[in-house]
Amino acid sequence: MPDVKPAMRIIYIPILLFFTAFLVVPLGILFVRSFETSDGFSLSNYLSVLSNAELMASIGNSIKISSLTAVITTFLAFVLAYALNCTNIYKPLKAAIKTGILIPMLLPTITYGFAIIYSFGNQGLLTKITGENLFGIYGFNGLLIGYVIYTLPAAFLLINNSFKYIDKKFMIVSNLMGDGVIRSFKNTIVRPLLGTLGGAFVLAFILSFTDFGIPASIGGTYTVVATQLYQVMLGSIPDFNNGAVIAVLMLLPAVFGVLLLNYLEKLNFHYDKFTAIGMMQHRGRDVSFGIVSTVILIGMLSIFAVMFIAPFLHSFPYDLTFTLTHIIDTFQSSDVRTVYQNSLFIALSTAVLGTLIAFCSAVLNVRTAIKGRTSTDIISMMTNTVPGMVLGLSYLFLFNGSSLKGTFTIIVLCNIVHYFTTPYLMAKNSLSKMNPIWETTGELLGDSWMKTVYRVLLPNSASTVIEMFSYYFINSMVTISGIIFLVTAQTSVVASKIKELQHFAKFNEIFILSILIFLTNLVVKLLCDHFQKRKFNHL
Amino acid sequence: MNVKKLKVTLLSLVALSLLVVLTACSSSKAAGEKLVIYTNGDEAASEAMKSALNEAGYEGKYVLQSLGTSELGGKLLAEGNQIEADIVTMSSYFIESAQQQHNMFNDLTFTTNALEEHPPYYTPVLANTGSIFVNTEVLKQKGLPMPTSIKDLAEPEFEGLVSIPNIMDSSTGWLLVQAIISEYGEEEGKTVLRELLANSGPHVESSGSGPIKKVQAGEVAAGFGLRYQAVMAKESGLPIEFVDPIEGNFSLTESVAVVNKDDATTTLAMEMAEVIIRDARKELLTHYPVALYEGETVADMNKPAYSMEFEQPLTVELLEQHQEFFKSAK
Repeated sequence: MPDVKPAMRIIYIPILLFFTAFLVVPLGILFVRSFETSDGFSLSNYLSVLSNAELMASIGNSIKISSLTAVITTFLAFVLAYALNCTNIYKPLKAAIKTGILIPMLLPTITYGFAIIYSFGNQGLLTKITGENLFGIYGFNGLLIGYVIYTLPAAFLLINNSFKYIDKKFMIVSNLMGDGVIRSFKNTIVRPLLGTLGGAFVLAFILSFTDFGIPASIGGTYTVVATQLYQVMLGSIPDFNNGAVIAVLMLLPAVFGVLLLNYLEKLNFHYDKFTAIGMMQHRGRDVSFGIVSTVILIGMLSIFAVMFIAPFLHSFPYDLTFTLTHIIDTFQSSDVRTVYQNSLFIALSTAVLGTLIAFCSAVLNVRTAIKGRTSTDIISMMTNTVPGMVLGLSYLFLFNGSSLKGTFTIIVLCNIVHYFTTPYLMAKNSLSKMNPIWETTGELLGDSWMKTVYRVLLPNSASTVIEMFSYYFINSMVTISGIIFLVTAQTSVVASKIKELQHFAKFNEIFILSILIFLTNLVVKLLCDHFQKRKFNHL
Repeated sequence: MNVKKLKVTLLSLVALSLLVVLTACSSSKAAGEKLVIYTNGDEAASEAMKSALNEAGYEGKYVLQSLGTSELGGKLLAEGNQIEADIVTMSSYFIESAQQQHNMFNDLTFTTNALEEHPPYYTPVLANTGSIFVNTEVLKQKGLPMPTSIKDLAEPEFEGLVSIPNIMDSSTGWLLVQAIISEYGEEEGKTVLRELLANSGPHVESSGSGPIKKVQAGEVAAGFGLRYQAVMAKESGLPIEFVDPIEGNFSLTESVAVVNKDDATTTLAMEMAEVIIRDARKELLTHYPVALYEGETVADMNKPAYSMEFEQPLTVELLEQHQEFFKSAK
C-alpha cells in the first residue's frame, strides 16, 4: 500500500466534512429537537408520543405488517432463487425470472398502491376478470401486497447472490450418503444460507417499515408510522418536536436491524472452492418449481399490467375504447414537462456526484493507509441505517432557515447520502479485488498517486462505476420517502407530483407519469448494461 | 512540515469549495425567479386560474402548487410570511386566522364589487356548496333506496357503500359536519356521524373530490361532496344524481390573498391576484356556481334546494372544535 500522499488528504477531508455536514449534524439536530419543548429540554415530547394511543397503534401496525411482509418475501425470494440455481427448469424461464423480478425496482412505490387499487378494487382489472371482489384492498391486504412486491426484488438479489457461493457438489454427496430429501435440503441448502435468509428478512422488514409511498396510496384506515409522521409534520396542526420524536422511534428498528445483519454475517459459510456442476435430473422438482415461479412472476407483473392499459382507454373501466387523449393532454401540460426535467436533473446530478463521492470514499478505504480511513465504513453503516424519511426530516430541521431550503441542491445531497451504502460497497468490493501493488508500480514508473487512480484504478473498475451510476440514477428517480419533506413548488419532481395528483384522484396522469419514470429508468438501465458488457469485452 | 500541512489544508479547502460551487451552480438554476401560488382549490379551480393568468401573458412566470387544505393551513400557520408562496388562495377562515397570527398579507390594492363584505387583505375567488350524490346504477344493483338526507346514508343498508370527506384534511368535510351539527345538535349528531363513519369504512377521503370519484368509479353507491361536481358528472352522461340533503346545503368561500414580501414581488403578485379575480371568475362560475360579485348569475339547476349558513362565524377555532367532534365520533 502506498504511503499517505497529500492528494489523499485532499480527497479525504472534504468527504469527511461532507458527511459531517449532511449526515452527522442533521441527525444530531433531530435528536436535540426531539427533546426540545417550549420550556427547556425534557422527555415530555416522548411521553406525549408514547401516551398517544393512535400513534402507538400505528407503530404496532407497522411492526406487525412489516414482519409478515418479511416472512412472505423471504419465502418467495428463496423459492425463486432456488428455482434459478438448483433446478433444471426451462432456460428462457430462468432468464425471464431474473429480469422480470427487477421490474418493480424501476417504479416509485407510490405507484404500487394505485396499481393495486386498479387491479383488485371493485372495478379493478383482475376483479373484472375473476368476476368478484377477491378481498378488501384498502388497509392491511393492500399494504401487504404492496410491501411484498416492493421488497421481493431486493431480497431475491441477496439470496440469489448467495446461492452462487454454495458448493452444489455437497447436494450430490448428501444424496449419495443416503440422506433423505428433508435432511439433504436442510444441510446443503438451508444451513449455508441461514445468514442470508436472516439478512433478507431484516432487509424486507426495514424497507417496508420505512416506506412512505405504499401506505400513502393504499393505507386506508390502517395507520402506519410513515403516514403518521407525515401527518404530524404536514397536517393541519404541525408539531415539529413530536415529528422529531416519531423519526427517532422510526430509527430504532432500523438500528436494531442493521446490528442484527452484522451478527447474521457471522453465520455465512465460506466455501473454499465451488465447482459448477449440472443439477441432477428430477422432473417432478423441475415442473413444480417451474409452475410456482411462473405463478409468482405473473402474479406480480399482472398487478402492474393495468398501469399500462388504463391510460390508453377513454374511461377505464366504463368506456374501453382506445385513445391517446390522456397521453397527449398530460404531455401538453407544461407542469409535467417541468417536473420531468427537474427529476432528470436531480437524478443525473445525484448519479454523477454520488458516484464520485462513493468511489473516492472506497478508494481511500481500500487502497490507502490514510489515518481514519475506516470512518467511511462507519458512514456507510450509518447511511444504511437511516430511513429516507428520517434523513429528509432532519434536513428540514437543519436547513430550514438557510439558503439551501427549497433548492435542488438539498434534494441531490439528501439522495447522495440516502443511497450511499450500496454504491460504496460495490466500489469497495471491486477495488479490493485488484492487485495491491499497482499504486507502487505506478509510482515507480513516475505517475503521481492521483494519476494512478485515474489511469489504472478507474478504468479497471469502469464496469462497477457504471453500475453505481445506474443505481444512484434509478433510485433518485423513484424515491419519495427521502424527499417528501424537501420538495417545494419550484423543485417538485415526478414522484412528488404523483402524490399531488393523488389528491385529485387523477389516476390516468398518475399512471402516465409512472410509465414515464419506468421508461426513463429502463433506458438508463439498458444503456448502462450495454456499456458494462462492452467494457468486459475489451478486457 | 508546517508548510506541507498548510498546503494540504489549502488544497482540501479548494476541493471542498469546488464541490460547493458545483452544487451552487445547480441550485441557482433552481431558483428561476418564478412567482409561486399556493392553492387549496381543486383541479377545476386551478385550471381556471391558470388559463386566466396565461391569457394575461404570465405563462411561465409562475408556478401553481396545489395542496390539501390542511397541508396548506399548516404551512400558513407554521411559516407565516416565510412561506414559499407569493399568492395564496385558500378557505377564507384560514386566511383570517393566518393574518391574525402573523400579519402576513398585504391589503389588496385593487377594488372589487363583491356582494358580501370582506376584510381588505382578501377577496373571494369561489364558493363551494355541499350535497349528497349517488351512483344510480350501483344503487339499483344493490337494491338501495334513493337517500334524501345525510341520516339516510347512516342506515345499516349503506354499510361499505358510502364515501365522505375527512374533516381533518378537507374543508368539504366541514360542510358535512356543519350540516349534521346544525340539524341534530352535538349529541344526536355524534350518533349519526358515528354510524356514517362506520358505513364509510375505508372510503373516508382526505380530498374533497375523493367521494365523487369513488361514486363515479362505482366503488361506493353514495357520497357527500361538492354539489357542482355531481351536477357536472350528471351532465356528462354518467349515472350520477345529486340530492340536496334536508339537513341543508352549507357553503364555504375560498379567497385570494397576497403575501407580504419584498416590494417588487408583491407588486407583481398583486397584479396577478387582480387578473385571477377579473378574468378567472367567468370560468370559475361555471364550475362553482355561486354568485360572489355584482352582475353574476347562475342557472337554476345549480341553485341548491336547502341553502344554509352555520349559525356561528366560521373560524379556525370552530373548525378545531368540529374536528374534535369528528374524532370523538370514530
